[in-house]
Amino acid sequence: MKIAVENNRNRADLVPAQDVPLDNHYYLNMGPQHPSTHGVLRVLLEMDGEYVVEAQPVLGYGHRMQEKMAEHKNWMAFMPNTGRMDYAAALPYNHGFVALFERLCGIEVPARAEYIRVITSELNRIVSHHLWLGAFLLDLGAFTPILYTFDDREQVLDILEDVTGSRLTYCYFRVGGVCRDIDDKFVERTRAFIKRQRERFEVYNKLVTGNIIFIKRAEGVGVISADMAMRYGVTGPVLRGSGIAYDIRKNEPYSIYPQLDFEIPTGTNGDSLDRYMVRLQEIEQSLRIIEQALDQLPKGPCLGKVPKKLKLPNGDGSFAVEAARGELTYYLVSGGGEIPYRLKIRVPSYSNLSVLPELGRGILLADLVTSMGSMDLVIPEIDR
Amino acid sequence: MGDQTRGKLNVHSYAAELQARLERGEPGNLVVHDPGPLVRHKLADEIFNLCRANSLWPMTFGLACCAIEMMSLGMARFDISRFGSEVFRPSPRQSDLMIVAGTVNKKMASAVMTLYDQMPSPKWVIAMGNCAISGGPFAVEENYNVIEGVDKLIPVDVYVPGCPPRPEGLLEGILKLQEKITGVRHPFPQRKISDAPSY
Amino acid sequence: MHPATEKLIGALRSELSLEVRPCDYYQRGYHYEIEVEAGQLRTLAAILLQEKMFLVFVGGLHVKPAMRIIYQFASYERACRLLVRVPVAADNSLPTISDIYQGANWHERETRDFYGVNFVGHPYLKPLILAEEDVDLKPLLKKEADLKDLAEVSWTAPEAAESKTDQKRAELS
Repeated sequence: MKIAVENNRNRADLVPAQDVPLDNHYYLNMGPQHPSTHGVLRVLLEMDGEYVVEAQPVLGYGHRMQEKMAEHKNWMAFMPNTGRMDYAAALPYNHGFVALFERLCGIEVPARAEYIRVITSELNRIVSHHLWLGAFLLDLGAFTPILYTFDDREQVLDILEDVTGSRLTYCYFRVGGVCRDIDDKFVERTRAFIKRQRERFEVYNKLVTGNIIFIKRAEGVGVISADMAMRYGVTGPVLRGSGIAYDIRKNEPYSIYPQLDFEIPTGTNGDSLDRYMVRLQEIEQSLRIIEQALDQLPKGPCLGKVPKKLKLPNGDGSFAVEAARGELTYYLVSGGGEIPYRLKIRVPSYSNLSVLPELGRGILLADLVTSMGSMDLVIPEIDR
Repeated sequence: MGDQTRGKLNVHSYAAELQARLERGEPGNLVVHDPGPLVRHKLADEIFNLCRANSLWPMTFGLACCAIEMMSLGMARFDISRFGSEVFRPSPRQSDLMIVAGTVNKKMASAVMTLYDQMPSPKWVIAMGNCAISGGPFAVEENYNVIEGVDKLIPVDVYVPGCPPRPEGLLEGILKLQEKITGVRHPFPQRKISDAPSY
Repeated sequence: MHPATEKLIGALRSELSLEVRPCDYYQRGYHYEIEVEAGQLRTLAAILLQEKMFLVFVGGLHVKPAMRIIYQFASYERACRLLVRVPVAADNSLPTISDIYQGANWHERETRDFYGVNFVGHPYLKPLILAEEDVDLKPLLKKEADLKDLAEVSWTAPEAAESKTDQKRAELS
């Protein structure tokens, strides 16, 4: 039984009820500390029994002034910040930042470095999707899959730790390439991991995908239509679940993606089950990309020639990459010199979460949790 | 400790205020120092401390990046449950250890203090990661939002440095906390295996 | 040029008489740039929504003489990124586009948090990312000494072409 939500407010109008709620409505505060592992998100819910009348996210509990710090640091000093915005998949954030500087200043990146960047970014995408998988299923109440996904994660984190030095908040890319080269041991371990991961899909399909409880909880829940996605600027697997095949790696390719052959999985209905399937298929596509890149890996230096003081031109520029959660765009304005005048970071989870007020009208609270979980949010990236 | 004024940030140190209140002899409705049981018996205390140290239940308080390492600690590879933390309780009223994993900022500060007050005594706090210890990479000149260290808000027992600390680092922090509670590093005697991996 | 992009540029030229300047995509990362007045912003947003462009971000830029708000739009189907620069009106305000692009709701709230720009017609312009007590903090406004002129942070036309990267540019455009 769905309650009829009053439609005298227009869709963009998300004023939380300032006046006294109706007799059977009450306010429920979800967060900022709650068992879902998204970070510090607070959602103010006006509820009618078990149904959400209005869901209003309150942000800012993880705001760490990244854009302000960018105006006082040169690119080398800001690199650690790029790793800490989206800690689950930090390498695409590194990539967007250094590629922006390279494009603006006209710096050449050696081919080997580009291949290493793509291989490590795709490994990071796999790691991030595994983290999402475990956390999403934990939100739904399944305690077992997270143990399996974290085990897979640890295999990749061992590989990446040997070459980058960190497990989580990577600061591995530099303007002009990457800071440390990969060796044969890395290639061998990555190939072994790809083989192992392909066998693991069986495990996940048996454990989760065919599970009737999971299907009943995820099918038809949190439907985002293509039109709604465009009005909010949704990108990433959330958008691809709604049927639009938009991926920066194919649309505005960068690095060596034009030379690699992979597909963009899409869903049909835009519900949580579609987003789940899209991400599982993306893991497989990432494995394909890594395999091809390892086969094509050229020899050469891993870091190009970069002047000690990088002088930015007078003007602005932007660079978009496909992060694990969607389109990440860095926009930089500079007035010459080393330090940017303004750095705007457009993060994918920000636009993805902004659909929540419209999505959450009239649905069950448990369905709201499923929808938020399937959107794969990382709150410190939203708050920057 | 005291007021932190730097740039636009002015945070009144909660812990210092409570200390000052106690020194002035005011009753205060906030417990800083747990006075302990009314009736003391040495053997009973030792047994209770042993039990408490070996079943510390953390509260899920992951704020930022360190939360992922804390989650890894709870998973199969590093496995915190063999040290007693079988469950991570979301509710502060059912937990006795608060692992502050991540950056605390102005908006979050009141939530941190409320959660600490809601935990029943005896309770402990581990500040995990550089942000919780001292603001970490965000303690810069132009800071306007980040609280430089959670010990400006609540009393901390163990500090675990790292950005983020490895799960083994946090495990070492828990063992240190056990040592703080019982006086002995690992209360149960262990067989020494020379070539075993460190975790 | 993609026919949809031609149609878009045609519509912008005819309805708003805007000069849509193509840019060096390899260096700058966007394909076209436009400057509009505050009064034309809403018509522009309506046209772009009709042509199926999505809003990438809304950001502020504190320069002399007038603060500018930067909008970036892109397309799901083809590579077409559009940068729109709007100087704020004299009273530090701009009309809102959050009833056209609902995603702009949060972007505008954030810009108000950081820069103090008032978006006229926005349904709920309260702090989004900053704490309630920091409503007047406006942390990203520059101090007098660091404030730059608009000309200093703009490209001077034409940009010198880098011979080394010409091939890459040809590949990508």
